[in-house]
Amino acid sequence: MIIDSHTHVDESPVLGWSDPPEAIVGLLDEAEISRAVIMTYRDAPGPEERVLEYVAEAVQKYPDRLIAYARMNPRFGDEAVELFDRAIREYKMRGLKLHPVGYVMHPASGPTLDLIRHAASLNVPTLFHCGDEEFTMPLQIAEAAKLIPEAKIILGHMGGYFHVKDAIRVAKRHPNLILETSAMPYPKLIKEAVDTLGAERILFASDGPGCDPSIEVEKVLRAGLTSDQEALLFSGNIERLLGLADA
Amino acid sequence: MLIDAHAHLGTSLFGVENSLEDLLASMEQNEIDQAILVPLKPRDYHFGPENDRIAAAVRATVGKFFGFARVDPWQGQAAVDELRRSIDELGMIGLFLHPFEEQFAANDELSFPLLEVLHESGLPLMIAGGYPTFSHPSQIGDLARQFPDLTIIATHGGQINISGMLLADALRTMQANPNVIMETSGIYREDFIEDTIAELGAERVVWGSNAPYMDQGFETTRVRMAHLSDAVKTIIGRDNLRRICRLN
Repeated sequence: MIIDSHTHVDESPVLGWSDPPEAIVGLLDEAEISRAVIMTYRDAPGPEERVLEYVAEAVQKYPDRLIAYARMNPRFGDEAVELFDRAIREYKMRGLKLHPVGYVMHPASGPTLDLIRHAASLNVPTLFHCGDEEFTMPLQIAEAAKLIPEAKIILGHMGGYFHVKDAIRVAKRHPNLILETSAMPYPKLIKEAVDTLGAERILFASDGPGCDPSIEVEKVLRAGLTSDQEALLFSGNIERLLGLADA
Repeated sequence: MLIDAHAHLGTSLFGVENSLEDLLASMEQNEIDQAILVPLKPRDYHFGPENDRIAAAVRATVGKFFGFARVDPWQGQAAVDELRRSIDELGMIGLFLHPFEEQFAANDELSFPLLEVLHESGLPLMIAGGYPTFSHPSQIGDLARQFPDLTIIATHGGQINISGMLLADALRTMQANPNVIMETSGIYREDFIEDTIAELGAERVVWGSNAPYMDQGFETTRVRMAHLSDAVKTIIGRDNLRRICRLN
């Protein structure tokens, strides 16, 4: 079984983006992926209304396939924390997504830490976009991980093109960090991460529908892992992290 | 039939290596028929012997490989001389420039004497695209605008950015400059390949691996598993490179 830990649904005419839930579900079918974590490209709160509602409705449409994370903008302070709380308690979302490029704040800034701390208190993980740009690099996100050791923090894209080694280094220092495989192009570094950190610390994800989930599965299959390790990456770890088996 | 537009050979200053034996084994395993060979930057920084190594590999394997010369534009006239030697004596069919590893801006006048040589010879340029500071897609676009008759193959789709922040500039560069072709290695994201082909035509895309920095076998999936017709896959996996580089 395969569960994809990072995909997108969103529609924003003003930004020219259109990835309705059907787009990702079609690609999941092609790749024989059972379920996927979805999130928007837009942050909430933001200039447009009903961002979290869009994700919640996608899950209502495909309840057996899709699992929602709430993508938040920490600049809204307490308002963001309250909205996030509602997303988890009322909309039954399962995690927090943060993409600092969208709102331009350091991952260890006070309002960001408030959101991460609240996610930890609700026993849900925080997924950071983790690549090569300011405010998204592994060493920057690691500061948040150090300050909130009880928070489970996922480094999405595991450092992107140029910062995968940093992602592995910081995950070695902070046991609450988890790496996620989407979009980065190096099967060998997935193997290196598994060998260094243990397969329990790595999640499979695609960043679909922009990245093709079938190709992203193929990337992990080419990493040279054992079948037990593959089982953890493809489903075991995210099931444990989100309590999916108990649901 | 798959031709790799971008495979490196040698031992790199930056910790990777690819021997001719390893490359041939990988190509056989992954059903890649031919490849354009490009030097890695060697530990002694001298590209001349590396260009010789590429030429020797091309000669040793008839019909399998084609060579692109690599020089450092900071070497000035010596780089121009080495490019001419590579074309006239070694039979190289293009120039590879890596602004990130050689530390020059893609649109800097520094490389213009090299591009004049290419222009005279009717040969293409391949440029490592999308690297921070040195080969932003807008810089590649600025270069392409000044050399409209030069075919420029931009690796990685001209953008290496996992936030997608360079996609808009890469597309603008492709739209504004019909002489820019994108190569697909490590590309973010597959829909950028598919959407670019839909908008600008399959003639604008070539498949390449950037081995050994990237995984040659895995990179084949970006063509083989793409949501494209077999005819289009053949165009980007073979025909475009044959046309651009006048292979055969």
